Amino acid sequence: MSPGSASAVQVDVMRCSQCGTLDPGPRDLCAKCHAGLAPAKVAGEGSLVSWTMIRRPPASFKEDGAYAVAIVRLDAGVQVTGRLAEPDEAAKPGMRVVATGQHRETTVFSLVR
Amino acid sequence: MREVMITGIGSTPFGRLEGRSVQSLAVEAANMALARSGIDRSEIGALYLGNFVAGPLSGQEVLAGMVCDELGLAGIPCTKVEGACASGGIAFRHAVMAVRSGACEAAVVVGTEKMTHASGGQVTQALNCAMDNRSDGPSGLTFPGLFGLAWRVHAERYGTTRDDVSAVVVKNKRNGLKNPLAQMGAELSPDVIRQSLPIADPIQLYDCCPVSDGAAALVIVAADRAKAAPDLPIRIRAAVQTSGPARISGHEDLCSFRTTRLAAERAFKEARISPADLDLAELHDCFSMAEIIHTEDLGLVPRGQGAKWAAEGRTAVDGDIAVNASGGLLSKGHPVGATGVGQIFEVVRQLRGEHGNQVSGARLGLTQNVGGAGVACTVSILERGDA
Repeated sequence: MSPGSASAVQVDVMRCSQCGTLDPGPRDLCAKCHAGLAPAKVAGEGSLVSWTMIRRPPASFKEDGAYAVAIVRLDAGVQVTGRLAEPDEAAKPGMRVVATGQHRETTVFSLVR
Repeated sequence: MREVMITGIGSTPFGRLEGRSVQSLAVEAANMALARSGIDRSEIGALYLGNFVAGPLSGQEVLAGMVCDELGLAGIPCTKVEGACASGGIAFRHAVMAVRSGACEAAVVVGTEKMTHASGGQVTQALNCAMDNRSDGPSGLTFPGLFGLAWRVHAERYGTTRDDVSAVVVKNKRNGLKNPLAQMGAELSPDVIRQSLPIADPIQLYDCCPVSDGAAALVIVAADRAKAAPDLPIRIRAAVQTSGPARISGHEDLCSFRTTRLAAERAFKEARISPADLDLAELHDCFSMAEIIHTEDLGLVPRGQGAKWAAEGRTAVDGDIAVNASGGLLSKGHPVGATGVGQIFEVVRQLRGEHGNQVSGARLGLTQNVGGAGVACTVSILERGDA
């Protein structure tokens, strides 16, 4: 699959049972109204807030080598921390990204080129 | 509440201190502070100890009790506090509250850490305990990475360049040359910084503080008990602690920490001064980009101008406000639980006019100590006791 045609997978987040506010989770209480949160899925489309290339990982991520971590603002209205596949120096805050899969417990995003 | 002063101070050097234990460093610094406090050990009513990673890196907890016992302070309430890299600053505020409230006449605060015996991967793993390991940890993010994320946003929004950021590194490394306690003072060129090892793009090696061992301590006393001290007492005008989200999604802006903004606002109000009244600030430059963000959040420089002020020399020792004249974490070192106490130690020496990198005529100084991704912050404002 070429990056340009990457189709979005859904992203696991949480939704407040009372006010509907989305939360990246895992967490028990809604940050807004303190009611309970329940698992929810949202569309994996959004924009890149920022990214960085981790070249000195913590011991538990050593086998991953160098990898890019991204902060993504999903269009659904929630910000998540995940990975960015195939980053290059042209990747800038504000660019469109889609969720394309999962690595361990984290969502992997790709730039829409 | 009554006025409180700092009398005795003590510190080990910061750096690679081979063969020393985390307790032994704390005992050395606290014993030094007690000897210059003008207060008998029998009158110390409480001890607060700041430490973050002695559990994972040294397999040792109950440090507060061990240190108290060795200092001959046995029987008093002794408390270890943990707020990641703000542990020292938080310990300070608790000691201030204990004396201010009248619960005791004098209290000891000590921050201590031993890190250099562990491998880089172990240290990174231990420091990552300060992250929200439910939401951010699974991505493999690190603390240099957090400031790499902030850098890209700052660059996009304000046009901040590699060389702008390097001005902070050049300044702090140079300041460290004049601080005998500093781990790695250096005269660096922007070229050397630009060619250094990439760590978490755009963060490079010289943008990062070193891994350090060290301890610092202070004795806090009620103002009317400060007269017996051999050195000039330093008045505590404000000691503020705030909390914020541990996770990145809780931050509305990667280039600003709400915890710092709130702490600054409360501290300036408590001290009844404005940022322009300050002569110096020791703030939490764990990374070059962190100093830039913190100077802006504290209101010391206009938003977006943190790097440019450094480049123009306005945060140098002889500038508008001296920022990290000690060399900061970048140069003095960052034994994480000791850092917040070490910052106050540095400001006390400046206000007494006895610092190796003296800010001329210093009367008012601020410290800012941050934990995790802005999960905790302390801001303290100190003044010469004869002012």
